[in-house]
Amino acid sequence: MCYPLDSRECSRVASTQPSGGEGSVQAEDFYDSIRAGLIAMLPRLKRFADLLTGERRAGAGLLGRALRSMLAGEHRYQRGSALDLWAFAEIYQQWLKELRDHAEPTSLDEADDGRFALLFSSGGEEEFDSLTANFLRSLPPQQRLTLLLVYGERFDHIEAGHVLDVTPKTIGARLVRVTASLADQLGECGPVPATAANAR
Amino acid sequence: MTELSDDLLVAYVDRRLADKQTSALEKVLAQDDVVARRLVTLKDAHRRLETAFEAILAGEEADAADQPIPRAPGLFIARETLVKGGIAATGIVIAAALLFAGYGWPLAAPEFAGRPAAMETVASLPADWRKEVARAQGLLSRASLEIGADSQSNPDFMAFQIGQAIGSKLTPPDLTAQGYRFTRAQILTFDGEPLAQLLYLGQNGAPLALYAKKSGESSQPRVTRHEAITGIAWPQGGVDYFLAGESNEDSLQRLAEAVRSEL
Repeated sequence: MCYPLDSRECSRVASTQPSGGEGSVQAEDFYDSIRAGLIAMLPRLKRFADLLTGERRAGAGLLGRALRSMLAGEHRYQRGSALDLWAFAEIYQQWLKELRDHAEPTSLDEADDGRFALLFSSGGEEEFDSLTANFLRSLPPQQRLTLLLVYGERFDHIEAGHVLDVTPKTIGARLVRVTASLADQLGECGPVPATAANAR
Repeated sequence: MTELSDDLLVAYVDRRLADKQTSALEKVLAQDDVVARRLVTLKDAHRRLETAFEAILAGEEADAADQPIPRAPGLFIARETLVKGGIAATGIVIAAALLFAGYGWPLAAPEFAGRPAAMETVASLPADWRKEVARAQGLLSRASLEIGADSQSNPDFMAFQIGQAIGSKLTPPDLTAQGYRFTRAQILTFDGEPLAQLLYLGQNGAPLALYAKKSGESSQPRVTRHEAITGIAWPQGGVDYFLAGESNEDSLQRLAEAVRSEL
């Protein structure tokens, strides 16, 4: 299990290619399966799929189909690269493929209010932020994922762009637009206790 | 009021501005309450989003903990994967074990000391070395440390100890003709079974290690590679051997031949 699970680990992993495998000696490397790596990041992958589909059940279904596709086609994964980036991109591509195959793709965009709210139920005592949840639900899936990848997964714009197959500039533009939009809603909800001093 | 775009303020919140831009923006913030208020709202939005994503992840982790991963046919870690991962980690244990023994390698070795690039790597990845060292420590047993350093460098004594541990006599092969001298050996543990490690040093470069473990199953000779370490594994006389070093594959093959001929 020597592939980098996290994109931030990439820099330390040397790119190694299996040797030729001539003669009676069978050549292979230690990157024998992505299975263990995918298991280790299941909660993160599930969060990604949930936010993409807008609900847990559909997210679980999408993740299951994407995992089967990843395991069946793990040769597509470039050894030594970040497994999480690859896995997120695979889930996103799976979703796009299913969207294209669907008879009415536009009907899949809007997430159900109640089921979307369940995504934020962690069983803890935290206060449920309905304003943010409703805001996220109203966004197109691609914008939700942009926020998740940058603010949730802490990817940089290049990495997030790689997952969503858009340019880093697009990622930056989406972040500004969406964050500003949420800030507008927060501003409408009441005065923000701000001064020049606490802004810093 | 100063006109500042949300682009700039969001970049500030995300800490993507250069130092000079940050300083300039902070000067504006100190003088303009409207901009400062907008920034606080953007920060609030940012914080709420982060919190929301953390809440979702916490829910998923709780679900994952409630639903153990099936052994089969679902996702599981194959025994072969565990074995290979363990063998990979044995290379790391060299450093850990020698550090425990007070040798200070590799930090004190001249070729590793004082290299800024290496120091940067260590400093930027604190979580990774802890994980790797914890995994490596799992290979240490009491037997690894109960035999003193002097005894570990005695080939006859270690041949006896290894024989006792893995059930097959193993005199450290003499590789002086190949430019390597035996330095020491120790008994590690893997999957509850003893694993012998014989260490050699050449004129320069990284150590060469020969591992020996009682064979559990027949296996084919194979070459493995893990980052800079190349390894050659083969079964012989009921023992699985694994020779690992930073040599290239051809050199390692020649060394493996020399080892095989002495076993």
